[in-house]
Amino acid sequence: MEKQGTLQVKNLVKKYKGRSEELLVLDNINLSVEPGEFISIIGASGCGKTTFLRLVVGLESDYEGDILLDGRKLNGPDLNRGVVFQDHRLLPWLTIEKNIGLGLKETKSPEARKTIQEHVELVGLQGFEKHYPYQLSGGMSQRAAIARSLVNRPEILLLDEPLGALDALTRMYMHQELERIWRQEGITMIMITHDVDEAIYLSDKIVIMSSRPGSIRKIIPVPLARPRDRAGYDFVKIKEQVLEEFHLHTEHPFSYTI
Amino acid sequence: MKRLIGNSEVLTGRIRGMTTVLVLLLAWVSLSCAGMIPADKFPPPNVVVRTFIELIRSGLLAKSLASSMVRIAEGFAAGTLLGFALGTLMGVSRTLERLFSPLCNALRQVPVIGWIPLVVLWCGVGDLSKIAFIAIGAFFPMLVSTFQGVRGVPGRFIEVVRVFEFSTLRLLARVVVPGAFPDIVTGLRLSLGTSWMLVVWSEINTRSGLGIGEMLWSARMGSKLDVVLICIIVIGLVAYLINEVLGHVEARLLVWKRSYR
Repeated sequence: MEKQGTLQVKNLVKKYKGRSEELLVLDNINLSVEPGEFISIIGASGCGKTTFLRLVVGLESDYEGDILLDGRKLNGPDLNRGVVFQDHRLLPWLTIEKNIGLGLKETKSPEARKTIQEHVELVGLQGFEKHYPYQLSGGMSQRAAIARSLVNRPEILLLDEPLGALDALTRMYMHQELERIWRQEGITMIMITHDVDEAIYLSDKIVIMSSRPGSIRKIIPVPLARPRDRAGYDFVKIKEQVLEEFHLHTEHPFSYTI
Repeated sequence: MKRLIGNSEVLTGRIRGMTTVLVLLLAWVSLSCAGMIPADKFPPPNVVVRTFIELIRSGLLAKSLASSMVRIAEGFAAGTLLGFALGTLMGVSRTLERLFSPLCNALRQVPVIGWIPLVVLWCGVGDLSKIAFIAIGAFFPMLVSTFQGVRGVPGRFIEVVRVFEFSTLRLLARVVVPGAFPDIVTGLRLSLGTSWMLVVWSEINTRSGLGIGEMLWSARMGSKLDVVLICIIVIGLVAYLINEVLGHVEARLLVWKRSYR
């Protein structure tokens, strides 16, 4: 019996069947995620990371290999796996609190209302419960989307570039918020991102994906204590490691210390 | 009161609209008094006012209007409900769409008037056939609008509730129909328009019972232009008021849409 929130991906292969050809999107993905871990996936655009995420959530099926949650095979989307999309996808005709409560079976009971209020406070949107999405900024909307995804206490939360649409300062503030939420809820999180700093700040492990076809090139552990110092030596060393994988590092022909 | 009048832009707009009507009225009154309009081509205002008071006193205007409006209500309700139901079903099921689309596309282009022989044959010349006409006229705009609205609901919202294990019924009620709402309201407006047109038409065609269209046509037979004019004005005014009310209801229900601010 696996612990709650264990994800195992074994020999995952995904092909896209076009009209005349077959495109290999994901090639032999093998990944193990422990309960409560925070994993980031970094890769160039088009490497299949979103496809991978959608397969784990269950929004797409038709794959070869195994995706096991707590040892059980997946069968379409369910409440055990939550997702935060890149666009917040709040329903425009519902208030914020109704949006957050969308995943609950019923919202009238005192327990349900308490859960919704807890999650409103968790993401810091007190006072905006009766507002409509069009009245909120991008950052606030995404926070509401995160609250919505947590309301059913899923074992695993998948985030597809959740902060990509936000400006740099809001994003850094949201990193702290995400870490706080992750620590408070103890949920396994798998996040796709382009932002190397974001990945190092938040993750226990960074998965580097190469593209065409998508496959896992390297897994870089981040054994730093939290909260992490973005300007710290260890942080920067890991950043160099990651950038090297994408040939974005700067060559230091020689260095010396006195 | 402030809510009724709205903000200053809306108020200015309404005043401008009323000014146009007032100018036309003044023109009518002054030109008639000056004798520049022959009384047999266009009735003078004093005659019209007198006839109007007479119609109110005898209760004929009220009864006729009420009869027509009851027919509209019944035909509109039947037509729009059916149109909504089929439009939603065709919108969510591609199979149903493929099955029914050719037939619906063909039938909706037949002018409703073309249905006269069949409807009269099946429903007689009483109230039922008039209501059937109105229902047919209300059905097609509602069908098309609902279908477009349902198809227009972005798939990304549907994905959100798939993750939440929504049943199909819950998906329809919480996501699809609210998402299609703006188009549905457009459909209601269009259906209301055809309902008015068809109630007058059907009353003219099946000369039985009371109705505002019936009143208009009888007056025409007797060359009573004043009654004709009163009927036209009453129809226009009532239709306008109903549309205004629908507009207010729409604004309240669609308060979440940015374009309504």
